[in-house]
Amino acid sequence: MVALTLSPTKTLFLNSHLLHSTFKPHFINPYSTKTHRFHSSRFLSFNLVTCKLKSPQDIKNKDKNISKKIVLSEAAPSLAEKDGDGGGGGEGNGNGEVKAKSGGSLMRLVKRFPRKVLGVLSNLPLAIGEMFAVAALMALGTFIDQGEAPDFYFQKYPEDNPVLGIFTWRWVLTLGFDHMYSSPVFLGTLVLLGASLLACTYTTQIPLVKVARRWNFLDSSEAIRKQEYSDTLPRASVQDLGVLLMGAGYEVFLKGPSLYAFKGLAGRFAPIGVHLAMLLIMAGGTLSAAGSFRGSVTVPQGLNFVVGDVLGPTGFLSTPTDAFNTEVHINRFYMDYYDSGEVSQFYTDLSLFDLNGKEIMRKTISVNDPLRYGGITIYQTDWSFSALQILKDDEGPFNLAMAPLKINGDKKLFGTFLPVGDAESPNVKGISMLARDLQSIVIYDLEGKFSGVRRPGSKLPIDIDGSRIVIVDAIGSSGLDLKTDPGVPIVYAGFGALMLTTCISFLSHSRIWALQDGTMVVVGGKTNRAKAEFPEEMDRLLDRVPEIVESSRSKEPDNVSG
Amino acid sequence: MISSILEHILIHISFSVVSIVITIRLLILLVNEIPGLYDSSKKGIITTFVCITGLLVTRWIYSRHLPLSDLYESFIFLSWSLSIIHMVPYLKKHKNHLSAITAPLVILIQGFATSGFLTEMHQSRILVPALKSHWLMMHVSMMVLGYAALLCGSLLSVALIVITFRKIIRTFDKSNNESFSFGEIQYINERNNVLWNTPFISSKNYYRSQLIQQLDHWSYRIISLGFIFLTMGILSGAVWANEAWGSYWNWDPKETWAFITWTIFAIYLHIRTNPNLEGVNSAIVASLGFLIIWICYLGVNLLGIGLHSYGTFTLTSN
Repeated sequence: MVALTLSPTKTLFLNSHLLHSTFKPHFINPYSTKTHRFHSSRFLSFNLVTCKLKSPQDIKNKDKNISKKIVLSEAAPSLAEKDGDGGGGGEGNGNGEVKAKSGGSLMRLVKRFPRKVLGVLSNLPLAIGEMFAVAALMALGTFIDQGEAPDFYFQKYPEDNPVLGIFTWRWVLTLGFDHMYSSPVFLGTLVLLGASLLACTYTTQIPLVKVARRWNFLDSSEAIRKQEYSDTLPRASVQDLGVLLMGAGYEVFLKGPSLYAFKGLAGRFAPIGVHLAMLLIMAGGTLSAAGSFRGSVTVPQGLNFVVGDVLGPTGFLSTPTDAFNTEVHINRFYMDYYDSGEVSQFYTDLSLFDLNGKEIMRKTISVNDPLRYGGITIYQTDWSFSALQILKDDEGPFNLAMAPLKINGDKKLFGTFLPVGDAESPNVKGISMLARDLQSIVIYDLEGKFSGVRRPGSKLPIDIDGSRIVIVDAIGSSGLDLKTDPGVPIVYAGFGALMLTTCISFLSHSRIWALQDGTMVVVGGKTNRAKAEFPEEMDRLLDRVPEIVESSRSKEPDNVSG
Repeated sequence: MISSILEHILIHISFSVVSIVITIRLLILLVNEIPGLYDSSKKGIITTFVCITGLLVTRWIYSRHLPLSDLYESFIFLSWSLSIIHMVPYLKKHKNHLSAITAPLVILIQGFATSGFLTEMHQSRILVPALKSHWLMMHVSMMVLGYAALLCGSLLSVALIVITFRKIIRTFDKSNNESFSFGEIQYINERNNVLWNTPFISSKNYYRSQLIQQLDHWSYRIISLGFIFLTMGILSGAVWANEAWGSYWNWDPKETWAFITWTIFAIYLHIRTNPNLEGVNSAIVASLGFLIIWICYLGVNLLGIGLHSYGTFTLTSN
């Protein structure tokens, strides 16, 4: 993926290109050399002063090149190294020259291969294509029902009546679109995108930053006038402008008659951070997928389970820890209700016991408030009706198991049956009890007629066909999700970095050049993002530059040119 | 009961004020630039903003939770965000073409929210357990702000395309396409007609290209802003999901579509980095993004699939 910062940098390329030719091999890829050359020929009239900075840069580059060569191939002759340094641009276009000097063409091929791959990967259209592909696959994943049995797809996408003329179940199952988000096609595209991110950051963004950080003066008024914004102030002083610019938050550099000021440099660095944060998130996501444990369990109130029995590994990196021996006891499961009778919150009171049976933690969890212990997280996600505790004719209490009659959707329904009379007879009759939640139980008599509603724990008896029934308690079971996820810290770090860098990316990197030409000041500037606001801001700033001479004529209104 | 009457009054006031503003706008375009009218349209938008704010606050006070829990409330919040986006340029003294986009959008969204389609949602509901979190405010407000900014930005891009290819579209007998860009077309037509009558015919193209460039810059800026909000919204949503649903990413349809939206606008931002592809190419992507925002915002909710369908939301296991 190519940097967000690429757009307004014609002259930036130029800077490095014309005067620092040794810089070129760093970020040029085979596809972009042409355009660079084009720019350089077009803007040859530019006159930049960078001699001062050139020599240290050269030395730096030389060091870099050598070290890189050594890494790439140990057997590279020292001659070739020198050639690479001295030749500069030869890396991109002078193939023949290099060939003549160093012998083993195979060796060079191996040597050049990574760079070629980098070049291809950091190609912007490719990256855009990859993003489109990812988006399209995700969209497809929401249209095709995920995670169904093959039979489902046989019926939904039959071969004799294909969707759009070609799309049948064979496509779905061969390409793994029934589990899109873990299918090789999708993951492959993501990996490719990640590789592009990395390649682009390395080949395009980092060199761009190196160029952008260098501050340079423009020494000719033509060069300044060629900027996206330019203006001329008659009878002004470049010092006054400098002070004003400083007041507006610019970093200002003055050298004789020339001024260079910039603002929002962070906005140029930030896209690198965005890319790195994306990579961090991708890495964390991979670790999550490969190294997690997951499991869910529905436990009646008062019972126990061992964490390790519930959790199952999701990938080859999943390794159990000591915390898996922890035993979880459900002290209590209950719900809070609104006055209207709707559920407001689910609560489960949990106790954790270690191997010795010692309680190590106790917490009441609810939706949005999970329990965390030793890398294990326990979520409240579901509930069920386990049993109904009743007294029949003051005998008992008996526990009647509740059967789920309807569990999908938002309206659950549970029911149980209390046989009356001879339970062995073929057509046994009894009392039916139905419940939608733990709050109220609807009771039907032997004939199936409605006979009343009782709240558990109300102690109010109900008489049905001679038997007297008291509903003592409703025992719910708590649906818990358990997981361990080693990727979360990495992903969260990526999230934080992404938020920060995306915000910083909004900053526009503005640069202003000015030159004192007699009593006249030529001002030019450009910015990479806030192209609409920048001229207005500049106009406002320049309006405040004081005139030097006691002239009565006020300054001409500023015009935007270019 | 008082609250619902108050809400009713406020929403009707804001609705009629916006329609008056649009009428004034059209009048200014069709007749002449009258400073007084321009000023009153500005005041109209501020009135709308105050009304919607009042509406949201009333709902907040009476339902005792943030008014962001269902589609109706998020619609109201969306029009509120749009009116903020509308007002910001005024505060910063920028004069741009945003109001041609935002005002009709506000009226359309309010119209949709108050239409019979969502009637059963007008009564503020209780908050389901999964929404009881501090993340609700952060996540939903960021998402809706992001949608609002992205809608504005992508509509500016649509306007750009329309102006660029106006010759083709000129024969719009039955313009059943978006009526908001219709306003923009009209605006351009008028502007050009005025210029046409003046002797400076040659300057027409100059003004047009200026306008196109302005639209391009502003849509880029606003989309960048919306992209920040969208990023924050998605990320805060992921953190919330890690608290409530057991994983920071569940490939829930709404999540997926938010990510698709994000990807599309990421593509837009990347296309902008190439100077050769700026303008129309990026605008086409942004217009595609416009459609995708609506799929993400409405489509998923209306189908009622996944964990984000709050009309019928219950506690479900993953």
